[in-house]
Amino acid sequence: MLTSVWRNLLRSVVVLAVVTFVVFFLMYGNGPGIARAVMGMQAEVTEENVAAKMVELGLDQPLLVQYGHWVQGLFTGDLGRSFYTGQSVTEALATRVPVTLAITAVALVLTALLSVLLGVTAAVKGGRIDRVLQFLSILGTAVPSFITSIVLVFLFAIFWRVLPATGYVSPDVSLGGWAASITLPVLALLIGAVSSAAQQFRTATLDQLGKDYVRTLRARGVSERAVIFRHVLRNAAAPGLTVLSLTVFSLLGGAVFIEQVFALPGLGQLANSSAQIFDVPMVMGTVLVTAVIVLVVNFLGDLAITLLNPKARTR
Amino acid sequence: MRLVTRRSMLTGSAAVTIGAILAACTGGANNTGGGAASGGAKDTLTLGMTADIEGWDPNNQPGYQGWPGEAIWGLVCRPNEFGELEPSLAESWEISDDRRSFTAHLRQGTTFSDGATADAEAVRANFEFAATNEATRSLYEGITFDVPDAQTITLTWPEPQPLMNDRISRVKLTSPDLIDSGNLNDKPVGFGPYLLDEAGTTRGSVYSFTKNEEYWEADAYPYAKLVCKVYASETAALNALKTGQIDGTLVNAQSYDEVTGSGFEVKEMNGQTTRLLLTDHKGEIIPALGDVRVRQAINMVFDKQAMVDNLYAGHGEVSHQIFRPGSTAYLDDLADPYPFDVDKAKSLMVEAGYAEGFELELPTMDGQNHDVLMPYVTQQLAELNITVKQVPLTGANAIGDLLSGTYPVVLWQLGNIGDSVQDIDIVVRDTGYWNLEHQKDEYVDEQWDIICTGTDEEAEAAQKAINQYVIDQAWFAPMVNPTSFYAHTANVVIDNVSDLEGLAPKLRDFQ
Repeated sequence: MLTSVWRNLLRSVVVLAVVTFVVFFLMYGNGPGIARAVMGMQAEVTEENVAAKMVELGLDQPLLVQYGHWVQGLFTGDLGRSFYTGQSVTEALATRVPVTLAITAVALVLTALLSVLLGVTAAVKGGRIDRVLQFLSILGTAVPSFITSIVLVFLFAIFWRVLPATGYVSPDVSLGGWAASITLPVLALLIGAVSSAAQQFRTATLDQLGKDYVRTLRARGVSERAVIFRHVLRNAAAPGLTVLSLTVFSLLGGAVFIEQVFALPGLGQLANSSAQIFDVPMVMGTVLVTAVIVLVVNFLGDLAITLLNPKARTR
Repeated sequence: MRLVTRRSMLTGSAAVTIGAILAACTGGANNTGGGAASGGAKDTLTLGMTADIEGWDPNNQPGYQGWPGEAIWGLVCRPNEFGELEPSLAESWEISDDRRSFTAHLRQGTTFSDGATADAEAVRANFEFAATNEATRSLYEGITFDVPDAQTITLTWPEPQPLMNDRISRVKLTSPDLIDSGNLNDKPVGFGPYLLDEAGTTRGSVYSFTKNEEYWEADAYPYAKLVCKVYASETAALNALKTGQIDGTLVNAQSYDEVTGSGFEVKEMNGQTTRLLLTDHKGEIIPALGDVRVRQAINMVFDKQAMVDNLYAGHGEVSHQIFRPGSTAYLDDLADPYPFDVDKAKSLMVEAGYAEGFELELPTMDGQNHDVLMPYVTQQLAELNITVKQVPLTGANAIGDLLSGTYPVVLWQLGNIGDSVQDIDIVVRDTGYWNLEHQKDEYVDEQWDIICTGTDEEAEAAQKAINQYVIDQAWFAPMVNPTSFYAHTANVVIDNVSDLEGLAPKLRDFQ
């Protein structure tokens, strides 16, 4: 068990190093181009000026040295400053990460609850309910999130005017305002995620329901509720957890788009706007945080599966 | 079975219900944003910005949607829509006959938000900083100062300065103490009409301000609070407008019907001219472009009215010159110098010896309407056997490549600035960054000298002469002045757009 945890941790660190290394080299590979872009359209462009800008931004150093400085800064909590605004990357992330985490965490919890409920119901009840849920699930998966977002905004913000169309309210300011501000973005994320995860839970449940031990339990007169909740769900949990940890990745990916539509000042919006203008320190900051979130979720998912699976525990 | 179904349905709608209840408890969706006002009071002006500012360095503020900057910083003089100076910190001023010196007489009793006095020494500190700052150094290098007293300052350029109005109104004034600290990007200090409300501000998302009652012209800014919200997507800005979260935002032509159909008012602006820039006047890269007949032929193959009708859905005006109507260089009585006539254009190509045409690389970039314009431009140039090869520019090198001179012809929706001297400086003179090949021209240089040193009348005549010259020489193929739109609620009144660039209302235009 402990070996497995250590192996996972080590793997996470290696993945983090590889991801940041690759993105760093891709982003910083064109020093003169970046310096020129930062100088802007109206700047007086001479080779000397571009070179001076490169020195100012630290782009004149060999890439490995630059990466070394960045890693060094990582350990001191200094991720650099925006090439354009001079804002500290750490400070920007501190305001952005809670927004993205809020919508993805709420969406994940609701996805877990709803997908288990819908997936298990479809598998256990079968028949018309299964077909209806399957149809809704396919529909939810097939409709792109931007369509879902537009429909949600039209219905709840423009037509009924019960929820805000855009913006984010911090829970420190107003808990109600916070909940209202994340409801539509969470719903937009939720529909696709639940549709996909519920299918997986249905399949996993059906798989367990077909096993011999279920027949044995039923033959022994164990109540159907106990069979489902005590035995089937427990055994279906491992593949379910894998699905949920994968859902986190898709939720984070979806947040990039959702944050644009709902004008949420989150990580996705920061990554998108920074990448467009080659504000590489900001991009690196968002990549780092996103990678850490993904790895932590992956790690926790693996840990949970290990705890649930006696075979894995003994390895 | 029924129980489970009912429970799942209940759970499924929980998020919506909880959100709706919470929203209702907190006053509903309409309270989450600004909105000018209940009961007609001018309490809060909430503007949507479709582009963020790049930090708080006063030397690095956008003219386009630069409301946070306008809120914070005052100027020595501010420009109107045609670049003429109006009072700000300076109550009055004089420009020397040789156009080298500007003397400002400053109003008394103005202080920056950090308590420092906004006097002649503060003006000097800001202009000295601009002269050393990378972004503005070339505009202020070599200027000298004379400060006879705290309310008077004379700035002198080493050479006659034809762009005096621009140079004076470009420097946003901040506290000398802040300049000395070097922390310009951390916190804005100014004496403008509003003060930053840091508690209500999240960089990149929302900027909040409270009115500066000490501002000399506070009455001209009727709103007690100003909130600027950043929307990366125009759809989001439009939704915010529709739901009362903001009072106004820029919208594109595609949204015009939707916005007006929803009862919003729209202010129209024509601050750009869609044009081909034929910058290889001497044919150094593409020999054919060195022949004026070829450049004139290119001008004649575009049906400008059809472009307005079909490519801009009627939202624009046909353009025969690159300067803004009403600006000094603009020729009021100019008839279409190159009416749409493909046959005549072809015969000009034959006369010039280029009946077989040539190949042309046209750079394309996202956000420049090229997806709409390029097919038509490509098709029409093909009438002259000019084969267009589109080159997409992306990534960090895009701007550098665009302005590098690699592409002697560029299709662009470029600003027509209200101060036509600026347009001449940027796109006509060989030093201009939009004159991509930077080829010298004696006639333009002669007229520029007159603009620099002549009387006002002579300078005006020289601007018009340059306009006529570039039309005759067909240095550009101007096509359309596309209309841009600012949509706003009926609570906000925008009678005039005083923006020199004609791209968005200025803060003082919102009444």
